This record gives sequence, C-alpha cells and structure tokens, in this order.
Amino acid sequence: MTAVTDHDHTDHMERLDHTGEYAGDYTSGFDSGLTAADSAPDAVPEPAHAPVHAPAPGAAPDSAGDAAQGRDGTEGEPPADLAHPAAETENVPHARVREQREPADGDPATAEDAWDDGLIARRVTETSKPAVPVLETRGPGAPAPVPLAYDGPLRSRLDALRELVGLSRTRLDSHTLAEAGRVLDEAAARRRLSGQHTVVAIAGATGSGKSQLFNALAGVAISETGVRRPTTAAPIACTWSDGGAALVDRLGIPGRLRRRPVHNPEADAQLRGLVLIDLPDHDSAAVQHREHVDRILKLVDAVIWVVDPEKYADAVLHERYLRPMAGHAEVMFVILNQTDRLPGDAADLVLHDLRRLLDDDGVALGEFGEPGATVLALSALTGDGVGELREMLGQFVAERGAAARRIAADVDAAADRLRPVYATGRRAGLSEEARDEFAARLADAVGATAAGEAAERAWLRNANRACGTPWLRLWRWHQKRADAPTGRLQRPQPEEEATARQRVEQAVRTVSDRASAGLPAPWAQAVREAAVRGSQGLSEALDELAAQAGLPPGRPPRPGWWPVAVFAQAAMTLLQVVGGLWLVGQIAGFMAPNLGIPVLLMIAGIVGGPLVEWGCRMAARGPARRYGLEAERRLREAAAGCGRARVLDPVAAELLRYREVREQYGRVTRAGAGVG
Amino acid sequence: MVTLDVRPQLLDTLSALRDRVAAARFPLPLAGAPRARANRDELLAQLDNYLVPRLREPDAPLLAVVGGSTGAGKSTLVNSLVGRRVSEAGVLRPTTRTPVLVCHPEDHHWFSGMRVLPDLTRVWVPNRDPGDDLLLPGENPGRVLRVETADSLPRGLALLDAPDIDSLIVDNRVLAAELMCAADVWVMVTTAARYADAVPWHLLRTAKEYKAALVTVLDRVPHQVVSEVARQYGALLTKAGLGDLPRFTVPELPESAWGGGLLPATAVAPLRAWLVHQAQDPGARTHILARTAHGVLDSLKARMPELAGAAAAQHAAALRLTSAVDSAYDSEHARVRSRLQSGAVLAGDALKRWRAYPLDCAAGELLDALVESLAALLLCAVTAADERVDDAWRREPASAAPGLSGRDPSLESAEHRIGLAVRRWRRELEEYAEDEVRELDRSVAPDSESVAALVATALLGGRRTKEAGERLAERVGAHGALRLRDRAGRLLTEHVDRVVHTERERRLAPLDALDVHPEPQAELIAALSVLQKER
Repeated sequence: MTAVTDHDHTDHMERLDHTGEYAGDYTSGFDSGLTAADSAPDAVPEPAHAPVHAPAPGAAPDSAGDAAQGRDGTEGEPPADLAHPAAETENVPHARVREQREPADGDPATAEDAWDDGLIARRVTETSKPAVPVLETRGPGAPAPVPLAYDGPLRSRLDALRELVGLSRTRLDSHTLAEAGRVLDEAAARRRLSGQHTVVAIAGATGSGKSQLFNALAGVAISETGVRRPTTAAPIACTWSDGGAALVDRLGIPGRLRRRPVHNPEADAQLRGLVLIDLPDHDSAAVQHREHVDRILKLVDAVIWVVDPEKYADAVLHERYLRPMAGHAEVMFVILNQTDRLPGDAADLVLHDLRRLLDDDGVALGEFGEPGATVLALSALTGDGVGELREMLGQFVAERGAAARRIAADVDAAADRLRPVYATGRRAGLSEEARDEFAARLADAVGATAAGEAAERAWLRNANRACGTPWLRLWRWHQKRADAPTGRLQRPQPEEEATARQRVEQAVRTVSDRASAGLPAPWAQAVREAAVRGSQGLSEALDELAAQAGLPPGRPPRPGWWPVAVFAQAAMTLLQVVGGLWLVGQIAGFMAPNLGIPVLLMIAGIVGGPLVEWGCRMAARGPARRYGLEAERRLREAAAGCGRARVLDPVAAELLRYREVREQYGRVTRAGAGVG
Repeated sequence: MVTLDVRPQLLDTLSALRDRVAAARFPLPLAGAPRARANRDELLAQLDNYLVPRLREPDAPLLAVVGGSTGAGKSTLVNSLVGRRVSEAGVLRPTTRTPVLVCHPEDHHWFSGMRVLPDLTRVWVPNRDPGDDLLLPGENPGRVLRVETADSLPRGLALLDAPDIDSLIVDNRVLAAELMCAADVWVMVTTAARYADAVPWHLLRTAKEYKAALVTVLDRVPHQVVSEVARQYGALLTKAGLGDLPRFTVPELPESAWGGGLLPATAVAPLRAWLVHQAQDPGARTHILARTAHGVLDSLKARMPELAGAAAAQHAAALRLTSAVDSAYDSEHARVRSRLQSGAVLAGDALKRWRAYPLDCAAGELLDALVESLAALLLCAVTAADERVDDAWRREPASAAPGLSGRDPSLESAEHRIGLAVRRWRRELEEYAEDEVRELDRSVAPDSESVAALVATALLGGRRTKEAGERLAERVGAHGALRLRDRAGRLLTEHVDRVVHTERERRLAPLDALDVHPEPQAELIAALSVLQKER
C-alpha cells in the first residue's frame, strides 16, 4: 500500500526525535540564539564582544559543517535523524492511506506542535543568559533600528481582534482562540522589531535548490549544497544590512548560523534591508526539518517557495503549505528552479502548469499588476533569471510593506478560522413573533383564556340573577338547595401549582430555540443557558401572580343602567302584585268590578318581567365580555411581564452580547466585507 | 524455500474471510473509523486483486507494479523496459493519470478478463497512434486500466505503470495504493532528488511490513554523482533494515528527461534482466510468488484484529448512543408518570375550567382543556428527552454521523402525533363513559360527557380532585366509578407508554438504520482463526 504521509508515524517520530541526540544539538544552538535576543530591542552588543566575522567564501565550509552537525558520522552513514523513522518500522502500525483522504485533519495538529515550538522559543528569549558574541559584523555606531509601524487599518483590525478575543474568552474555549492569540502575539513581537528589514525565508522540498538559490542571492557559498539528501538541516540567516539581528533572534537561529553576503556595493544597495533565511526541506523523512520549517514560516515576513520541475506538483507542498497559506499570496514568491534541466520550451510549459496548480490552490497570482504571488522561472545553477529575482526582491524589500501585509494575511486567516464560531450567515435574534408567542404560551400556562371566560360567565350569571324575575330566583334557590354544592364552593382552598409547569418549560424551550437559531454553537448554548437560568422559579412566580391578578380588584363593576333595570324588574313585579291584588279585591267584592285594568296590569307585569330580564341579559353581554377580557388581559399581561423580566431580558442581553462580538468580528475581517 | 501449495479449503476460507471483510461497515465517524475504512478497502483490494486470484491461478504472469512519487520517471522506465512508448511521459505533473498494464500478447487473456483489478474498466487498443486520445469519452480516467501488449516483453511478466503515490489528485493516490496491492513485485522508483523524501519511505516501510517482493530503482541520477548518491541511498536502506533489497540505478540521460523518449536498453538492462529472471526461472518465480502471498497472509494476523477492534469500537459507540437515548426517554417517562400522579395536568387552563365547572363551564370544555394539557405534558417530556439526548450526543463523536442529528424538523410532527394519541384516548374514554351510563339504565341517566369529564379530572387531577371522584360516584355509583376510573387509568397508562415508546423509536430509527451490530467483530476473528487453521 501506498503510504503517503502517515500521521502516526510522524507523531511517533517527533517524540523520538525530541529525545534523540539531535535535540541536544538543537537546543544548544538555541541558547546562543536567545542570547542575542536578550539584547533586543536595542540589539547592539558591546563592540568588544562582536568579533568581525569576515564573510568570505573560506569561512563558509566551516560554518556549513556546523550546520550539518549531527551527521558527522563516517561517509556513507545516513544522518541519524533519517534512521529513526526507518528503525521504527517494526513498532509503528501500518503506513496508511488515511492521510490522503483528510490531509487537512493532520495539518492543524502538526501546526500546533510547531506553534508550541514558537512559544517556547519566545519564552526562552525572555530569560536572561550571559552574552555570547554574535558572528555578525556590526559597526559600533550602528543606529538602533526603527521599529515597524503598522498602518491605520491594520492597527485597528489588530485592536479589534484583541478585543474580540477578550470578549469571547468566557464563551469559547482557549483552544479555539489560540490561533488568534498567536497572531496577536506575533504581531506585537514583530512590531517591536525593525521595520527597515524584511525577513524572507527560502522554503522548498529537498533537492529543489534552496541553498543554491540562497548562495546565488548572497553571491557566496554560505549554505552547503550537495547531492546528499536532505542537505540543509538547520536554518541559516543572511543579513544584508545592520540592525536586523533582533529579527533573526526571534527566529531562534543561533549566532554561528548567521552570515553576511559577499561585499558588493551594488547588490548591497539593491537588497538593503533583506534578511534571507535558508530553511531545511519540508518533505524529507527527517521530521525535525519540517518542524523548523513550520516554526519559522509563522515568523517570517515573506516566503520564497522554491520548486523544481520534478517536484512542483508534490501533494505535500500543495496540500500542506500552499493551500493553507493561500491568503499569504502577496508575501509569497514561487520560483521554479532548475530550468536548466528542462529542454527547450518545456520550461514555459511547466511554468504554466505551475501557475495552474497555484490557481487551483487558491493562491492569487501577481499578474497584470494585481496583488498576489510572484511566479518566476530561473536556474540558480546557471544564474539564468536570478538577476530578475534579485531585482524583484530588491523592490519588494524597498517597499517595506511585507511585514504588515503578512500580519494582515495572518489576521485574515485567523478570522477565517474563527468564522464558524462568530458568523453563520443567518439572521439571528428574537423576532417580535417569537416574543408574542412566548407571552401567549405563558398565558396558556396560567390559563388566562379560561380564567377570562370563567369571569365573563360568572359576571353574566350574576347580572342575570340580579335582573331576573324574583320568581325565577326563587326557583333557582330551591333548585340549588336540592342540588349538590358545585365547584365554586371549593374556591377558598389555596392552590399549589396553579400554573402548568410543562407549558412553562415548553415555552422557555421554544423561545430559547427560536432565539438561538442561526447563532454559532457556543453562543446558542449561552442563550439557552440564559433562558434556562431565567426560567428557574418562573412557574412559582406565575403561581403567585395568578393568585393576585386572577380577577380585577374590588367588586365586579356595575353598569349605570343596572339600578334602573332592577327598579324596572321590581316595578314589573309590583305591577303583577298590584294587578293580582286588584283582581283579588274585585273577587272579594271590595272593589268595583273592573276586569280590564287589573288584567292588563298583570299581563304587563307577567310579560314585562321576562322582557326586562331578556333585555338585561342582552345589555349585560357587552359589559360581561369586557369584564372577562379585562380579567384575561390582566393575567396575560402579568404573565408576559414576568416572562419578559425573567427570560426574555436575559436572552436579549445575551443576544446583544453576541451582536457586539459579531460586530467586532466584522471589524476584524477586512471592513466586514463578505461576512454573512 | 517456501512454496505455494494451495488447497481448495484455503481458498474457501479465504473467500469467506473476504466476504466478512467486505461486510464490515464503519458508519459512525469515530476517531479510528476513517482509518478502519481505509484498512478495509485496502485489505479488500489486496484480497480481490492479488491474493485470491494469485492463489487460484499460480500460473498467471508475474505482475510488477511500478510505483513512486510524481516525476520519478515511472512511465519513462516502463517505456524503456518495454522498448516502445506505451505510457505517456512528459514534463507536466502528474503525467500518468490512467494506469497502463503491459504484457506479452499471449498473456493478454490473463488481464483482459476481470481476474485481477475487477473494478477497473479495461481499455484495449491493440494498434493505436501514439498521439491518439487514449480515453473513451465519458469515462472516468481514474477507474480505467489500459492494457497494452508488447512482443518485447517475455511471457509470464507484466508491467503496470501506476499513477503517483503522492499525487495532488486524491483519486490517483487511492488508485495507486490499490494497484500496489495487486502486485507480485513492487518496483519502487525514486530519484536522486527524492530518495530522502518521506513519502517513498513510507511506501518502502509498508512493503517491508507486508514482506512483499520489493525492488527499488534509483532513477534520474546525474552522471557526476551516481556513485555517491547510490552509496547514500544504500546506506539509508541498510539503516532501515532493507539492505538486502535488489537495487538498480538508472542515470539521468538527456533522453530520459522531459521528452518522453526511451532510455537506451543498456541503462535498464540490469533491471530488465532481474525481472525476466524472476518471471522465467521457475525457482525464483515460485519463491517470489510465495513470498508476497505469504506476506499478505501473514499480515492478516495483525490486520484482521485491527478491523475487528474497529468494528467493536463502532458497536460500543452505537451502544453508548442508544443508551443515551434510552436513559433520556426513561427518565422523562418516569417524570411524566410522577407528574401525572401529582395532578400536574390539572393546571393552567384546565384548572381554571375545573374551578368554573359546572356553573360556568361545560363538560366538553373541561375535557378539551384536560386533553390539551395532557398533550402539552407529553410534548414537553418528549422535547426534554430529545434535548437531553442532544446534550449527551454532543459529547459523542459518533453522533456526527449523517442523519443522526437534527431533530428540529420532526418537532412539529411529534406534536401532531402526540395530539392524535391524546385525542384517541379521549374518544375511547368517552366510549367507556357511554358504556357505563348505558348500563345504569336509569330514568335520569347522567350526561355521558360530564361523566367522561369527571373521570378525566379525577384521573388527571391527582389528589386535588377527590371531589371529582365523589361526584362521579354520585352519578354512576361507587362501584361504577371505581370500574370506570380503573379502565380509564389503564387506558391512559397504555397511551402514554405508547407515545413515549414511539418517540423513542423514532429517535433511534436513524441509528438503527446504520446497522451497527456486534457480530462483525466476532465474525472477523472467527474467519481469521479458521484461515489460520487451514494454512
């Protein structure tokens, strides 16, 4: 089976290598590096400690030997670091095709490791160590480098990012924010250092000719080149002008691996301010090389990717580096080296294909004056095209914008990575309907509708009783005495749990779901928590409230016509009585017989009584309805108020906090463009 | 010397094992699942493409698969070995997108059928112009195997030019892996610029692990540094425990580069001679076949338990998910029962109605309110259970499987289903009440609806509604009231249980659909042990 990049292998070997002999060498190299960092930012050691290191070709092999420490064994013996993975074969599980399927998965993990390296490097620089001379020429009167200044938009974006991280600390775990924190740290660290210099790293696969190009640019064989793979094991720095030492310190490159180019006034002037770093390969079996590369790539201002006709389409280059770094196209050079190995116009074909691949990777190409990566073909061996690169590099360095652009691209990348926790592209918030629905559900829970109807009917009943004919009342009274006591009589007993708990719970759940819909997960969780917290005790509060606000205070209102109606009813009854008495009187012979009037009176009374009652009932409907509605409304409003205070307000506050953060995030992404 | 004697029982157990492997599924996105899936596919490819056909037909030609990184010159090497252009070579990467198999014309029948690499479509163009478009229209270039014949190759040897093992195109890489699985001899091509790359070393290590017959070619070495590079490479191999590997060095010649030309025969003569020897010398041939086949058989010892372990992990994860659902629904079910007991349904609207009953409220209204309140209680329990399940599942990586998450669309329908169930309960309750009233056979039989309402109140109101029970007893007699209550109570329990059960099943349905069982684990191990016995 094909084993492309096996993560398990990598992990295993990384651990191994840290404990291996090589690690010792690496840290000792480090020590001298941090010393230099010590003196930063005024990075000018005492002249007495700075022996002039003549940057002559003769010195190169010596130092190259330094660089190649760890493979000082006999000829033919492979580097120790290479042997580790091979020797591990027995223990490690099968090499897998797994990585092929999800290369993106593996990358962050290794990136994490590299970032730890960077962190350690920076921590270490803070501890003080005795000064050790640095092998770099520096005039005693070298002016302190002018620190880098970021322009307004970038500064405000960095501020916004810092604020964003601060605002989100309580909601997001530190792992999510780590990358943003790193970018902020790096931006701050870079800002303290020289703005006159541009740190450019030369990266590429093993055998692509990084060191060759490095030497061609420096004009001197600084970095060892050769057929032995991998050649360069540790990064080497070359500084074209003074004051860049602190920058190199930051990369953790020890003093013995720092060089100056051959003295050449013309070239010096052209590349003034350039700090060139020759990196080890990223694709050989020596894992710590890749660690070096990953660590330093995060710290440099610009990168020159060197590819060759054989390796320009390697998956590891494109998937592990170019695609994730596509946003850094403006500070990226892609150089097709070794064109001398290609016959005729094949170089153009390959260059074209390379452009196509870069385009597929999402790397913007700097063609037709647009900002983007510069793609060039050259041959470091024959020197063909190196001049052009030198010219471009000179121009690039002279602009002095690379560091800021790199930081801006970092901020972009960090913002992009944070997008899922800040932006979902959907509208979030508590709509008016959701609020109304919540209030309606709470009203249901306290039974507002039923209470209103009950109040209406009770009032109507009372009105009927008041305005009914006395005979009817008498009959009803009799009826009641015969019948069992009804529900009304149990009223005084205090009710526990008058509010429907399940309805309250459901209402809170629905409203929090509505409110958190369209929010990124952490914020949705926060909203839900706020709602649940608020809903504790809500039911009890509603119980209390229902007991208080159940009915309008005082006696039920009586309309103005009521006494008139009662009087009319009384009058009708009186008419009946009078008519009846009159008739009785006539029958008894007390009175003159006159049938007409008393019968009429009685009939008026008998017909009028129910008529009045009926009229009253019709007339009472309106007030009863009003009374019922009033009762319902009071309960409804009380419940809604309670719900608003306890649940909706905390939820709204949480949403507001999210919106604030969201705006801050918009400020971090460039002018909030393209943020949904 | 190992020989390759094959008994039919071994073949049977092997195909049984193959079926077991093919049946293994890893649908839950656990940490080890992608790896297990890749392992499964790889193992299956090796069994289908190599082991079974090879054991079944030991006389089939030796297949040497040429693999390596992009730009290593694989196609040029194959072309040079064959002596004519059979595979396109060029400067643009990746060059070979369609694998090409070259064999002697008389061996063609071995490869034109689906004996090996059955899932690759064969394309055979006996006499084609070099410039022709090789692909038939509408065919996926990744899943096509071009079969070429050449007289220059000896009988009994076939060469396969595989795509890059580290191609930018993922399909290519997968295909390359699959092709390597089919090889009797792995020819690993690397170059002077690449011999320390991580990727080819992984390939070498894998080959070593499978004890496959392996040969490495150091290609494109500039003349000046041939000896040094070869020495370096040899040292690395020795360090890796591969010192005895047959090693060939091919210099970088102007012809080899970028033109797609052929290397002179002398440049590849040693490699060719070695390959021909392996193919034609019976002893060497048997040895090499046995070595690779036994390597694969041996590797099963480690790989099958790994697959079984992954299957077990899948099942365990599925169990965890299921038990999360079960416990959530169980606890909600218990909560519903206790709330029913305590009369929580008689609250809010229902309580207000009950207070107004019978003066200001009709029996129908009371019953409506109660039924609605009951539905709300059940819906609340179901959504709460779902929420708990979501919470529990959020901590399980396995719950990210497609189709498992996302309960939101079903909420409305849950409400609908619960409404249906509760209304049905009401209807049955009313029927019971009618039965009871009919039995009374009194001149003043009470209204059946009010009886139903009283039963429901007495049942759902818990202790609060003793009075409802009393009134019910007044209407239908103490005995009838008790009977009615019991029947209605049983009916209620039945309906509530059914609702909770249905919702739980609904929640579990997508998980059940994934079909994760404990059997594959045992079956895989069993198949392996049977195979061990047969060997």
